[in-house]
Amino acid sequence: MSWESVIPNVLAGDAKAVACPPMESEEFAGFYERSARALWAYLARVSTDPALADDLMQESYVRFLGARRLEEGEVAARRYLFRIATNLLRGHWRRPRQASIEEIPEEFFEAPDESSQADSRAVLGPAMMLMRPRDRQLLWLAYAEGHSHREISEITGLASASIRLLLFRARHKIARLLREQDLNDRRQP
Amino acid sequence: MTLFGCAREKEVAELLKLGQWPHACPAELRAHAGACRVCGELVLVSGAFQKARVEAGSQARLEAPGPLWWRAQLRRRNAAIERIRKPVLGAEIFALTVTLLVAAGFLVSQAGKDHGWLAWFEDLPKALHFEALWSTAPASFDSNLWLVFPVLAILALLSGVVVYFASEKQ
Repeated sequence: MSWESVIPNVLAGDAKAVACPPMESEEFAGFYERSARALWAYLARVSTDPALADDLMQESYVRFLGARRLEEGEVAARRYLFRIATNLLRGHWRRPRQASIEEIPEEFFEAPDESSQADSRAVLGPAMMLMRPRDRQLLWLAYAEGHSHREISEITGLASASIRLLLFRARHKIARLLREQDLNDRRQP
Repeated sequence: MTLFGCAREKEVAELLKLGQWPHACPAELRAHAGACRVCGELVLVSGAFQKARVEAGSQARLEAPGPLWWRAQLRRRNAAIERIRKPVLGAEIFALTVTLLVAAGFLVSQAGKDHGWLAWFEDLPKALHFEALWSTAPASFDSNLWLVFPVLAILALLSGVVVYFASEKQ
């Protein structure tokens, strides 16, 4: 096999992908429309950082498009997308934090828009902050996204057998925190 | 109630998933959830997470899907080019290694012998009819190697230019 035969084939294959973007692009746009809000909510609530959620969501979709098409069905594609996002989150937590103050976006220093975020943050935010990242992931996938233990196992890479126990403990802990928070709220005028 | 759950937990979870809790569920099950710690926790946590999901989804500032699509295409294209470049680079390294080994072997084999093969260098100007230019050359410089090195340098330069244009075109 000569180089002349290899190179045009590879480039031709690539050019084919670029030449027919409208259909795939539209298909992706539909999938994005249906899945982006749920993915952002997952990333934002689990990471507790909306700016990070923006970045990771974009990266998740770019990696998703590079790895898989929608031929396997929307449910499988969605699960795969969450798996990519979960791995990116894990990678972010493993990385040492070296952010300087110049790297922090301006919005961070602005007063938070309490009107739009107060409700959900007041209910779940403080309790989520006290949970471990892995527990936050498990709880969100189970109770916000409604995934089964097997699906959570596929997304997180954890053993299916251990998810039941981990989830039970995490749920018990967050329920206690929510009750305590509720009691504190009632005591305050 | 078992160690990690309640026998009716699945029932409650199903109603929560279908959105039938609490209004479309039997009063008896609601009373059970009020008394059972496991089912009570399930109802509390599910409700909080469902509410948070709806609110967080509405806060999302979504980018248009088009740029993401093209960014992914660009990344795929770069990955394809990288896949092509890897074997080419390997072939180049292999060719260079073989050339160097052959040259080293040749020099080692000729090290002990008389250097008659160097006569080729001396005959090179004659073969190229450079005698016409010779009159201006310094007479004290008896070896003709001074001409060989610039020729080799020009050849190397031209090769570099050709390789550069070839890679640019690719």
